[in-house]
Amino acid sequence: MKTPGPVLAEQIRRIEDSKLFSFRSGQLPTWCPGCGYFGIHAGINAALWQLGIPHHKVVVVSGIGCAGRYPFFSNTYGLHTTHGRSLPVATGVKLANPELTVLAVGGDGDGLGIGGGHLPHASRKDVNISYVLFDNSIYGLTKGQPSPSSPTGFKTKVSPSGTTERPLNATLMALSYGASFVARLFAGEPGRIGEIMAQGIRHPGFSFLHVYTSCVTFDKEYKTWDHLKEWVHPIPEGHDPSNFRAAMNLVLDDDFATGLVYQRGGNG
Amino acid sequence: MSKLDITVEVCGMAGDGTIAAGGLINEGMSRGGLSVLAFDSYPAEIRGFGRCVTRSRIGHERRTALEEHTHVLISLNDEQSLSRVPFLTDLSAVFFDNRPPAPVPEESSLAAHVEPTTALFGMPFSDLAAQAAGSDRGRNLVALGGFAAVFQVPSELFQQAIVKKFKSKGQKVVESNVRCFQAGYAYAQERFSERLRDPISFPPRKEGPDIVMLSGNTAIAEGALDAGLHLYFGYPITPATPIMEYLAKKLPERGGRLMQMEDEIASIGAVLGGFFAGKRSMTATSGPGFALMTELITHGVMSETPAVIVDAQRGGPATGLPTKTEQSDLHAAVFGGPGDSARIVIAPTDVLECYHLTMKSFQLAEKYQIPVIVLTDFFLDNRVESVPPPVAGDGDGKDMTVYPDPDAKEPYRRFKITESGVSPRALPGMEGYIFTATGLEHTEKGLPDYTPENHSKMTEKRYRKLRSALEDLPSPVEQAPVGRMDLGVVGWGSNFGSVHEAVNRACERGLKVGALKLTSIYPYHEDAIRDFMSRCDEVLIAELNFEGQLANLIGHLHRKEVIRLNRVTGLPMPPSVIYKKILEILGETDS
Ligand SMILES: Cc1ncc(C[n+]2csc(CCOP(=O)(O)OP(=O)(O)O)c2C)c(N)n1
Ligand code: SF4
Repeated sequence: MKTPGPVLAEQIRRIEDSKLFSFRSGQLPTWCPGCGYFGIHAGINAALWQLGIPHHKVVVVSGIGCAGRYPFFSNTYGLHTTHGRSLPVATGVKLANPELTVLAVGGDGDGLGIGGGHLPHASRKDVNISYVLFDNSIYGLTKGQPSPSSPTGFKTKVSPSGTTERPLNATLMALSYGASFVARLFAGEPGRIGEIMAQGIRHPGFSFLHVYTSCVTFDKEYKTWDHLKEWVHPIPEGHDPSNFRAAMNLVLDDDFATGLVYQRGGNG
Repeated sequence: MSKLDITVEVCGMAGDGTIAAGGLINEGMSRGGLSVLAFDSYPAEIRGFGRCVTRSRIGHERRTALEEHTHVLISLNDEQSLSRVPFLTDLSAVFFDNRPPAPVPEESSLAAHVEPTTALFGMPFSDLAAQAAGSDRGRNLVALGGFAAVFQVPSELFQQAIVKKFKSKGQKVVESNVRCFQAGYAYAQERFSERLRDPISFPPRKEGPDIVMLSGNTAIAEGALDAGLHLYFGYPITPATPIMEYLAKKLPERGGRLMQMEDEIASIGAVLGGFFAGKRSMTATSGPGFALMTELITHGVMSETPAVIVDAQRGGPATGLPTKTEQSDLHAAVFGGPGDSARIVIAPTDVLECYHLTMKSFQLAEKYQIPVIVLTDFFLDNRVESVPPPVAGDGDGKDMTVYPDPDAKEPYRRFKITESGVSPRALPGMEGYIFTATGLEHTEKGLPDYTPENHSKMTEKRYRKLRSALEDLPSPVEQAPVGRMDLGVVGWGSNFGSVHEAVNRACERGLKVGALKLTSIYPYHEDAIRDFMSRCDEVLIAELNFEGQLANLIGHLHRKEVIRLNRVTGLPMPPSVIYKKILEILGETDS
């Protein structure tokens, strides 16, 4: 098993040195110091920069939550919608102007809770948009309630004795909904995010990028950096992302293997 | 020639061909140059064995309301038609099957229940159809033939209508249907020669555009197409679904695209996305779906993104009365959703207005960067009217977007505070204008800002757009004597048709009564409405809801309490109900 990439702070410094900086809006992110979202931001910027897409040709559509604030920090067109609704809105944007690169972003509460009904249909419709799910297994902006991907027994202010529900597995969901591009990633590796995100954007259908991240403020127990770094590892070499059954098995057997899980229809 | 104004009904069980027969009557009569307003009712349950009734008001003058009474009842099923007997007038004519496929028990026989003044025309519909075409499926056409003969309608009118309706099913079907019609016609001419009624008189043929039978829903769809609709997103719900089904065929032909979404929230979301990226987009729904949309509609208000939403009202809260008519979403349309969310609400009153106001709604949405709600109702959506084919005006498909000035010196501010409330709108893909739109309160640049000054300035800005939009919104239309009136009646939506007719009747009687038609529900033309009301001693607001929702909205413009006339039967309000109320208010007796 390979160890995760270099530490987050170092990666961010490297990225700030580069031209990727140009995809930052100049607006200081409102995220807490140490929040995993900085890494995802860096990763998405890396992908856009690498693909050479002009800023004004990109629209980032988000829902509500700490993750939902993303468009304000991105030097692209942005639409910060209501809680859970980024996918249908992004669909409308893409159909209106197919020349735009359209990204939808949001947290796990946003995408699996209130907006959970949209993921199956975005997957099924296979409109050419990329969806980045910032999965920290907690509601950040509303200050620490359990989310649909919180583990059973997770203690929060509204589950003082621990949650009793089972968590949703977003990668497995997207796969079973028939998404044509599915990847699982880690916020501590902006480089990998950038690389696979770029493939996802190039993929001519719906791409689902499930990113494990850490809420350093409200989660001291589960998805901490220490835990994530210990758990996350690359998908074993030899995995064939065009093989749906292999992708299903991989996701069923291993909750923390990261990389390109599945892609239908070649490399776009 | 006295003015013709008759209501003809066809009534039967689902499967009897009732709707087809009603449609042929509408087509045949309007081909003869008569004006037709028709409204069908059928069971909500698809496989139900419920009653189907088509009602067609036919006459020399254009009508936009239906009375409850019936002059001619064509019964394809005695048991079902019994419910219509109380609505027959003196001297009505009833056509029925005197040898129906299934024997009718004495207690449900029509013949046993109608008043002696009613003319009964019993014909063996089924037998004649079987003789003419080899099966009793054409019994509805036999009945039609009987009606045509008794009222001496030239048979070509119906035969042309039959050809038009069945052409696509092939020559054989056309011929057997025509044979059934002729069999009924011949039978009635022969048997009832002594009892033939006064002929239905048709006006001389006029040159001019052909008349088409158009439903409110088709008119909305056509209006949207002529406005340059590019994207339609929707989720099926009665009575809005026909709009989506119609556009599914027509929109791709015009280079647009339609997508059925997973729910109404997704539908309005995609509409906002589409308009955000610069393409005219629309959705249509009914009350329950509209309720789901309200959060995103207010997002359109806050983010200043245009949208066009048709709310085809049905009755009641929740799922209510899916196939019945009501005007009880007015509050939801005007106020629904969080916060002070200023949007535009317009309500067509007839089929032609459905076309023109839908078209207008795109211009308003784009020009003022605001969601526009088109409020219709089941009666308006599903009725058909014989009308000249509507045509778009010159500027109707025109792009109304206010774009940023490329030579402007200052950095671009998407939500710039202006006198009109309207700020220049850049579209994604345009270089040099990058911004983020949000449903959070924001600065001129679009960044979240919850300071007291900013929130009040921005709220004012959004409301200023409404003030500006009033100039483009259709003014109320008066149908009133100049000067003082004893009573003014205000109506909106489909119910205005009944107001119009009731007030006409009152005026013919010499009463000083006027009507005011409101199509701009919000914002409304306060001055014009107040002016009208101030000329009236009393003001009556008649609407199809329990609360008096329009009265709640504008009632304060009258110096006295307005009088409310409300009905929630699920059916259109007959003009006679309003007429009676007018007499009651003015202390007149109904003579
Ligand atoms: C309709 C609606 N319900 C509730 C909220 C309150 N709300 C804001 S953010 C949020 C949860 C966000 O959690 P998540 O999507 O996991 O994002 P994070 O903040 O962790 O990035 C909630 C419930 C809202 N804004 N809108
Ligand atoms: S609350 Fe959690 S998710 Fe939100 S910014 Fe802070 S660390 Fe990130």
